[in-house]
Amino acid sequence: MTSQILQKVDHSALKTNQIIIISLNILAFILNLPVLAAFVALVMGIGSALKVPGFGIVYKNLLKPRGWMKPDVLDDNPEPHRFSQILGFVFMTAGSLALFIGSSVLGWSLVWLVVALAALNAFGGFCVGCAVYYWLSRFQLPGFTKQPPAGTFPGMKPKAGVSV
Amino acid sequence: MSSDILLRFAFAIGIIVLGVGAYRLMNQRLLVRAKNNVFTLFSTLPNKPVIVYFTTPDCAPCKTVQRPALDQVTNLLGEKLQVIEIDAYERPDLARRWGVMSVPTTFLLDARGEARYVNSGVARAEKLMKQIQAL
Repeated sequence: MTSQILQKVDHSALKTNQIIIISLNILAFILNLPVLAAFVALVMGIGSALKVPGFGIVYKNLLKPRGWMKPDVLDDNPEPHRFSQILGFVFMTAGSLALFIGSSVLGWSLVWLVVALAALNAFGGFCVGCAVYYWLSRFQLPGFTKQPPAGTFPGMKPKAGVSV
Repeated sequence: MSSDILLRFAFAIGIIVLGVGAYRLMNQRLLVRAKNNVFTLFSTLPNKPVIVYFTTPDCAPCKTVQRPALDQVTNLLGEKLQVIEIDAYERPDLARRWGVMSVPTTFLLDARGEARYVNSGVARAEKLMKQIQAL
């Protein structure tokens, strides 16, 4: 494994983002509201453009200041998480479009795929999008330059806790 | 309309239950894998609880959190507990056999050598103590 400079990444912000994505998507499915799924896609898209977790604003302005969620700052690469959100955005956009043109099965399947991947990340600590990023990095694809933090399986959450 | 919502709700619950079940099954399989490979570490039964601790030399949280937590538990329990530390770089065969994907990973084995708990990631002293007491 090569040495590299890692950055501080607050995994609580990522987790909040994932849990909100999961909740809103399940709600969209139960209430049969494609517009809510499209809203999730839109927020993920805005987050990707701004290089922040889409719903991270909820953590930053509500959960963290009130102490409802504690920071979980780890030495990590932010790039794979951004890539992961872009992948989620693509799936959500495709899913929303499918729902709007009447392909319910395809649309909701894509939405549930995003729910499953977000849940795996939030509760299992495994980021599939990050694993894909590191896999592409192994093939030296331009733009995919980061390696997993030392001692961490590609896509798994690094385990060091740093208080802020 | 409301029956449609109920049906969708039931479907969503079903998928969630399936997901949780799959996650638990994965953890269970990891423990079974550890159980099947326990004799790669012991020739005879340990007759006391054992913590199998997978680490690597460049694992920072192992040094800063996991090792102190293990020391704390060892100081409290003394001879009543055995800790086996495995460098996953030196013994990739063991890491593979035990299904270790990241470090630190700790397995808690009871006195009969049966793997009862697995912690993928840092396990603090309090958590380890609770798990040992439940063995």
